[in-house]
Amino acid sequence: MRTKSLIGNAAFVLLGLFLVFLPLSGYQEGIIILLCINCIAAMGVSLLTGFTGIFTLGHAAYMALGAYTTAILTVRLGVHWVPAIVAGGVVAVLVAWLIGIPTLRLTGDYYAIASIGLGEAIRLILENWQSVTRGARGFPGIDSYTTREAAVAFFVILGILLFNLINSRLGRELKASRDDRVAASLMGFHTPRSRMKALLISAFCCGISGALLGGYMNFIQPSMFDMMKSTELTAVVVFGGLGSMSGTILGSAIITLVMEYFRDISQYRMLIYGALLVVIMVVRPEGLLGNREIWTFIPGLSGKSNDRRRDK
Amino acid sequence: MMATKTESRVLLELENIDMFFGGVLAVKGMSFTVMDNELAGIIGPNGAGKTTIFNVISGVYSPTAGTIWFREQDITPLMAYQVNRLGIARTFQNLRLFARSSVLENVMTAAQNRYRYSFRENLRGHLTPSYRPDPEYFYGFLESILHAGKWMSRETNIRKKSMELLDRVGLADRADQMAGTLPYGMQRRLEIARAIALDPKLLLLDEPAAGMNPEEVFALNDLITGLHKDFRLTTLVIEHHMDMIMQICPHIICVNFGAKIAEGTPEEIQANPEVLSAYLGDEEAVGE
Amino acid sequence: MDIGVHFSTLLQQIINGLSLGSVYALIAVGYSLVYSILSFSNFAHGGFLVVGGYICYGLLTMESIVVGGAVLNIPSFVNNIWIASLFALLGAGFVAVITERLAYKPIRERTSTTLYLLIASMGVSIVIENIFVIVVGGRFRALPQGTFPTTPFTFGNVTVNASDVLSLVFAVVFLGGLQFFLKKTRWGLAIRAAACDLRTAGLMGVNTSFLIGIVFFVAGLLAAVGGIFLSARYTLYPQLGGITTKAFVAAVIGGLGSLPGAVVGSLILGLAEMLTAGFISSQMRDLVVFSMLVIVLLVKPDGFFGKHISDKI
Repeated sequence: MRTKSLIGNAAFVLLGLFLVFLPLSGYQEGIIILLCINCIAAMGVSLLTGFTGIFTLGHAAYMALGAYTTAILTVRLGVHWVPAIVAGGVVAVLVAWLIGIPTLRLTGDYYAIASIGLGEAIRLILENWQSVTRGARGFPGIDSYTTREAAVAFFVILGILLFNLINSRLGRELKASRDDRVAASLMGFHTPRSRMKALLISAFCCGISGALLGGYMNFIQPSMFDMMKSTELTAVVVFGGLGSMSGTILGSAIITLVMEYFRDISQYRMLIYGALLVVIMVVRPEGLLGNREIWTFIPGLSGKSNDRRRDK
Repeated sequence: MMATKTESRVLLELENIDMFFGGVLAVKGMSFTVMDNELAGIIGPNGAGKTTIFNVISGVYSPTAGTIWFREQDITPLMAYQVNRLGIARTFQNLRLFARSSVLENVMTAAQNRYRYSFRENLRGHLTPSYRPDPEYFYGFLESILHAGKWMSRETNIRKKSMELLDRVGLADRADQMAGTLPYGMQRRLEIARAIALDPKLLLLDEPAAGMNPEEVFALNDLITGLHKDFRLTTLVIEHHMDMIMQICPHIICVNFGAKIAEGTPEEIQANPEVLSAYLGDEEAVGE
Repeated sequence: MDIGVHFSTLLQQIINGLSLGSVYALIAVGYSLVYSILSFSNFAHGGFLVVGGYICYGLLTMESIVVGGAVLNIPSFVNNIWIASLFALLGAGFVAVITERLAYKPIRERTSTTLYLLIASMGVSIVIENIFVIVVGGRFRALPQGTFPTTPFTFGNVTVNASDVLSLVFAVVFLGGLQFFLKKTRWGLAIRAAACDLRTAGLMGVNTSFLIGIVFFVAGLLAAVGGIFLSARYTLYPQLGGITTKAFVAAVIGGLGSLPGAVVGSLILGLAEMLTAGFISSQMRDLVVFSMLVIVLLVKPDGFFGKHISDKI
């Protein structure tokens, strides 16, 4: 079990090193950074939607909170960017906690609509709180702290932590409350608390992702974090396969690259994106990988049976 | 544990339980006791309120009136997860497995949640019954995300215990299969394994034989009596199959229209005219 | 005097609020109707509204049409709000039915997970919005002058826009019509039965596929009515469908799947929005809407008229 976990973590680190040392042009480097940023947010949403069964349409708001917190801390208060990014994640967590208390009692589409409402409300507050956020015109002059190394490092660290998490007692707890909330509570799980844990962790990831986005774009604006962005996060998770973290990364990478590829015909970009969503749902609603992780597709590597023999 | 000493103690007591759903009576004035280390059965025709009794005991519903005592503690106001942690586990009439997880993961999900019965001092200095996680199966959040510290040893314990129980119910060779794809009878046995993985003091089995053929029912009888003996597990079984309960339960409670109509040994129940008339009105059960 | 001014502002905002709320109601009722049958949030609903708006705009402003090189002059009677609206309603209903047949039906037949329908509906909504961006451009367009009467009515201090009164009247007419359809016709009865349990209704001999088609047609038609009045109020642009978020909020406040709930929720929302705009600040109105959503769900997690679904254990 330990070796399997170590191999997984090592594979992630190697992927990170590969992404960092791959010789690339400036444009390609930008794509790698964007890829990491999108993956971090999508992994957070994946934990909430794919592993805990809470369908959200407002997580761009947590990205906005992370982005604005970090921007304000670095530009106005001169804080170093590393603690500022972490602070962005923490602020997102705090707000998620406040929001989670009343809304996590809701189920299904009620939660989805409420999350739209709250996401839009956060965006509106950022837009109207001129003195702090500079309003709808946006917040310029953010340092370019999101280098390729920084983006990849955050992606690798958060990725390892999330993969470890889903292969632990907490991962099983979340899946239990996803599959059957009543049964989970009769197994001794305090399911509202389980759901809250998932929300807080996902908000943290989105906060970090937003903070990195600010450092990459040097400029943030409330309209960058609208309902469209939230929809994209959830769509990527469904596209990759609900309940598959590697599927989320794969889905996020594909969508990011496809959108990048069609950048020149930006008019048709969104049209293609929308059509893609419909086609995927019609052709393969379970997403790219379904409920499985990518290594379970490699024959001989589905470590579960090996593990058992070793334990016996 | 000293089973001989606790033999005659009351484990569970229902005291005048009423349960109404918006004016519709489901259970009325229900009282009975289950002694420690007993194998008891509740019988009654369909719709007699048997499952409602389980839902009230396990904390899914809080009763309209009445008190439930477990280990001399009033558990009426507790939430389902708290009742469970105090040592009451159950299975479900309409199977409720974690369908998108493997068979092994289903049991592990329960085995990681073993709680030990303990006491806590309250503000007035009295000791009140409480629970704490079994340290042999528990590790914290940081250990979860870092796969460090006790993660390895505890996870091994959880897995070993789960495999042991799967072996016990005869599902060890199905450990990696998705739970939702198991045949019906196996899903029922998996639910039992999952409930026992919680290390409960009291096990509630809700119609464990539903949908099984006579051979499977026979094997199930063996399993239930065996588990009862081996784990010193106080067990309360709901069934509308008269035969099965008569065979395995020395203590039987018969309910109809939400009220208790008889209680006693299998012989006493069989001789009771009220039980007979309740069952004659329910041809399906007689037919089975 | 001061109180008098406040009072007349109050009256005026109440009438504006009811009028806006009634437009929301047209949208929310269609959305709720679909939800009651298929239990999923149809995010493409805003697209139907935009389709209706553009058809109406197109017919009102079009003077000629090019067919195979020949320029055909459009007779001027087509540039009439009644004709244009009729086509807008039918067109939006038609688009709704097509959407259901092409995108939702294959998913519906394959799986019972409503989440996939929801994602597909988002895709459809993006597609519709961007088709208009590409074909007619993202410009804001106002319906031609004189489409709706502009003479304000004045009662004492209170001035009311004629188009506000008109939208209120038409909303009442269409909602009444829907009520009549659901209560007095055979298909209405079938729809109400299907809202209780679609499968059982199918087993009882209702042609569910046709029924779902009707439901989508009605939903699209009502959305188009809302779309026409919204484009009169705010001008027309491809992202106008985004306003349905508020109608969704209204439907959730009223209780998902409940038609009276959708109407009540919409009116409350419209009033709250206009009163905030009149007495606090126009920028706060959306914030008030979303805070109301949270407060209502805190007190009543199933909305005002929602059915509480409890699991059978």
